[in-house]
Parts: sequence; C-alpha cells; structure tokens
Amino acid sequence: MTDPSAIAVEVADLAKDYGPVRALNSVSFSIESGQYYALLGPSGGGKTTLLRLIGGFLRPSAGRVYLHGQDVSHLPPNRRPTSMVFQNYALFPHMNVERNVAYGLKLLKAPLEEVRDKVERMLGMVGLEGYNRRMPHELSGGQQQRVQLARSLVLERDILLLDEPLASLDAKLRKDMCLELKRIQEKVGITFIHVTHNQEEALTVADRIAIIADGELIEEGTARDIYETPRKRFTAEFIGDNNMLGGVVADISDGRVTVDLGFARVGIAARGQAAAKGDTVALSIRSELLRIVGPGVDPDASWQLMPATYVEAIYLGLTISHLVRLPDGTEVVARVMSGERSDEDFEPGREVTVGWPGDRARLHVA
Amino acid sequence: MYDDFANPWNIRLKWVYLLGVVFALLMPVFYTIHISFNQHGFGARIYDFTFDWYRVVLGDTLLVASLKWTLYLALGAIAMTIPMALLSAKFYKRTRRKVAFVALMLSPLFVPADIMGSSLLVFFKNLAKSFVWLDEALGVYWFDGWFDLGFLTALIGQVIYVHPYAFIVILITMSRYRVQQTEAARGCGATAWQAFWQVEFPQIRVGVFSSCAFVTILSFNEAVRTALLKGGFDTFSNVLVAQMLNIGMSGESYAMAGIMSIVSMLVIGSVIVFTLLRTERLERRARAMAQPVMSS
Repeated sequence: MTDPSAIAVEVADLAKDYGPVRALNSVSFSIESGQYYALLGPSGGGKTTLLRLIGGFLRPSAGRVYLHGQDVSHLPPNRRPTSMVFQNYALFPHMNVERNVAYGLKLLKAPLEEVRDKVERMLGMVGLEGYNRRMPHELSGGQQQRVQLARSLVLERDILLLDEPLASLDAKLRKDMCLELKRIQEKVGITFIHVTHNQEEALTVADRIAIIADGELIEEGTARDIYETPRKRFTAEFIGDNNMLGGVVADISDGRVTVDLGFARVGIAARGQAAAKGDTVALSIRSELLRIVGPGVDPDASWQLMPATYVEAIYLGLTISHLVRLPDGTEVVARVMSGERSDEDFEPGREVTVGWPGDRARLHVA
Repeated sequence: MYDDFANPWNIRLKWVYLLGVVFALLMPVFYTIHISFNQHGFGARIYDFTFDWYRVVLGDTLLVASLKWTLYLALGAIAMTIPMALLSAKFYKRTRRKVAFVALMLSPLFVPADIMGSSLLVFFKNLAKSFVWLDEALGVYWFDGWFDLGFLTALIGQVIYVHPYAFIVILITMSRYRVQQTEAARGCGATAWQAFWQVEFPQIRVGVFSSCAFVTILSFNEAVRTALLKGGFDTFSNVLVAQMLNIGMSGESYAMAGIMSIVSMLVIGSVIVFTLLRTERLERRARAMAQPVMSS
C-alpha cells in the first residue's frame, strides 16, 4: 500500500468477468490526489468497466479497489467517496435543474438554506445561473452535462468519475467543454477520472493518461510521454498520426539500435527497450515529424533517410498530408502545415527522399 | 414519420376506418347500456328512460354482496399482482434471456380459462388434502383449511390470470426508463430503495396506475376461474352469467352489464384523459420555456 494521503485511487490486480468473457484482466495502477486522470482506449476495451468498478457499480471478479487507502471493493456506490457523470440520459427527467443538483444534498438531509446556497454556487460554477426551474428536456446536450457535473460536484466528494461525458456532444461543444472541465478541476482540486475514446479530449484535459485495450492496461504516463514517446506499439498506433515501419535489429551499440527495414537502415535510440540482434521490431514516427526532402528541408548528418515514391497530397485545412510509398510498398504520411510547403512541389510518381531528424522515431519491441 | 407527399384523403380514410372498427366493436355494449335505461326492457317498442333497473340491482343484497366480493378480489389482486409485475418487469430489463422470460411470463394467457380453472381446482383440492395429512402426521391443526376453496384460492387464480397483463403494461412504461438514472441516484448517495422510489417510480407511475385499473377491470370481467375456485361466495360476473343462463336477460341483467361497462369505460377513459392532459401540459410548458439550443 502507498501513502493514502497522496494516493486517491489504487486498484490492485483488478479483474472483471461477464460470464465467460473477461472484460478486465488484472489491472493495477494508482492515481494521486488532485490529478486529472484519463482512461483512454478503443471502444470495448474495458475502460468503462474499470471506471464502474472504481465507482462501485460493478463488483470485481478479482482484485481490490482502494480509495484513499481504504478497501472499498465490497461497498456499493452510495457508500464510496465518489460521484459520477454519465455519458447521457442520467438527469432525472421529472425534476428541474435545481432539484437535480440538490438531490444528493437532500439525501444527506442538509439544511434547506445550505442546499440552496450550494446549488446556486454550483450552477454559477458551471455557467448555468438562472436555469434553476428548467426541466432537463429544455436544455441542450452541453447544458445537461453541466447540470450532471454540478450535481456531482455539489456533493464535495474527493473523486469524480466521468464516463465519456462529452461523447454525445458536437465537436465544437466538446472542445469548449474539455477546457471547461479542466478549469473546473483545477478550481475544485479534486481527483477527476475521465473515460474517453477520443485522444484529443484526453490530451487536452489529462495530467496523466492510461491506455486501456482488450481488458489490459497497455501503458500509463503523462500526456506528453504518451504522445511523444510511447513505449508500446499499440500506443503508437492509437495515439497521434503515426507511421509504423517493421524491420529487424541489425546492430546495437551505445544505446542505439540499427534497424534494417529491408530497403534502408535507420538508427534509433533504444530508450530502455530490450532489443536483441535479429529481433523483429517496429518503429514509429509521427507524421508531423516525417519530412520529404525538398524545398525548405535541409537534412544534416543526424537525419535518417529513406527512398520513396510520391503518391498524392491531401488537403485537410490546417494541414496537408503528403502520401508517399516506400520501396516495400508501405505507405507513409508526411504532414505539414498548410502554406508551409506547397503540394505542387511534387508530382505523383516522382522519386523522393523522406526522413526525420535526430532521434524522433521510437522503437517498439512489443 | 410525417410524409409531405402523402395524400391527405388517405389519412382521413384511415381514421374513418379506425373509428368505424372501434364503433362496430363497441356498438353492442352501447346498445346494452341503452336498453338498461329503458323502463320496458329489451325488444319493447316504447322507450321510457329510467334508472329503475339500476335501483333494483343496487337494492338487491345478493348483487351488492357479489359486487363487494368482486371489489375485494380486485383489491387483493392489485395488492399481490402489481408488486409481482413490477419485480418481473425489473428482472426482464436485467436478464439476457428476454424472449424466454417473456414467454414464461405470458404463458398463463395461452391456457384456456376453463382448463386453467379446473387444473387449479384439482391442484388446490390435492394441496388441501396434503395439508390435512400434514396436520395428522404432526398431530396439530395448523394447516387445516388453508387451501379449501374460498377467497384465497379465487385470489390466486385471479393473480395468475391478471399477472401477464399487468407485467406487459408496466414493462411498456418501464422500457422508456434509463437505468443510468438509477446509477446516477446511487452515485449521489441513494440506497437502492431510495433510487427506485424517488427516481424510477415517478417515471413509471402511469404504467403502475394503468395496471391497477386494468387489474380492477379484469377482476370484474373474470367468471370461469372464479366460478371454479371461489367456494362459498359469488362475484358480480358469476351472478350475471348465472342469471343469463337460468332466466335469460332481464332488465336487471342489462343494468348489471351496464354497470360493468360504464365502470370499465370510466376507468380506462380517466387514465387516457389524465395521460393526454398531462402530456399536453408538459408540452405547453416546454414550448413556453424553450429557447434556441446554444453551443455553450
């Protein structure tokens, strides 16, 4: 057990079976108090199951859940120091906004004046002053989620669980609400655990991110670590727009690995990955780091270069994706800011050289 | 879905057809009620409006007693069936074998009333004998008469009959309920009972009350099972059927049929009117308070 004052949530070998199906397989991690923590992964990967196990909505098949050092594995949700914001449909439709937000306080039999004050304060915090008498069906999706947030925060519990809270909102509103959630979390200072399958959402709000897939905790780290230096191949494929290349370890020296791609040899920092000569490995390079050698790109000795054939340019508004084909047939993408380089520079079918500077690529042995 | 290109006359014709069917179905009932208010009864060439037949019915102690027994049966059936139907509907939402569960719940409907009634009769008679044997074996009188034919056996027969209907009515209302609301309530600190009573029940209340009305009507409607299982009392339907079989339809019979039809229609009508008024009130309120949906 870790110091309970610093650790808000700790799960140890947590597993959940639905009949013969194992939804979560022996997951262990801990979350510090006051952290914004995201559980990120593809749909059906087990992240909502994990959140519901922490909240007490599911009973674990194996393992324990500790909240502030207390084993709560056997406790129902109403006896845990958590509250939860659901994806949608979770406001009580027969109660107005005020009664929804006040619901938990009334269960605690808080004095009426206190209930009124806290509800007003909380509605102010989520930007819904004056909406007290509105019924849930009279609110937009974003407003409904704010009411849910107010209803959970008003209870002043230490840990807030958010189950895909922005999934049903449109892209613009989702972006706004992300920033809003982060602002509120910083203001109230409690632990937020946010489940999402949207990487942009997780990167925007989270201090730390856990990648969950196939019922396993794949990788855990800060948002920057997860994005810039993923250790696992799955993480690299899931986060960001990464180009994946396969090869065999040809040489290892001074913490650097030389990977034979079949048509080129590239050097890469091992970064603690246990690779041995002859191992089949993968390397990933983010599309915004890959460059086509041409006007404005001046590679030095540190660059790793490969021959390729230019395929086409795809205009995406803010960026342009240049698609090139490597000699083994793998298609990779070099993404540049629109206006930084014109796509007229390259004709489809033209032989080009692509590469990246320094140690920007990452090695994956698993 | 509204079809802008639909011929409006098609819609009007559909309504005419629908109302025609309903009218044809209810015509005999209205005719019976009409006759029940005629001083001279069925087939008379003269029609003099009167409440006399109703006075006779309500002044007949046997009939009033049968009305009371029917009411007790209805109340007993409500008390037993509604909680059972609620639990069944809640179980349905949780089970993965939904088709099998619904088939099981509805199975009493597929057994003809006389078969079900006679089967229960044999079952209760054997059960009563078993209890007498148990008493004798134990040398006590604790179980004596538990399943002799009477109110309890008639009530059990009635509950078996009405449970599928109550289950379906509650299930329909419950299908709109989102389980996330129960979880949200639990997350706010509510116990399972508080979550049900404060969050779920208000949303399925209409279905529960409709089921109560339905069970009441079915209790007034049922004759065969009760006739076989009732023991020493008569229900309203039993008296009405017996009267029709023994002495044919009299002015009194028409009044009895009229009472049952009017009560049934009033109960169902009240539920419909209440629901419609409530829906309209909510929609009016929503329209008054609605404002354009904003992105923040």
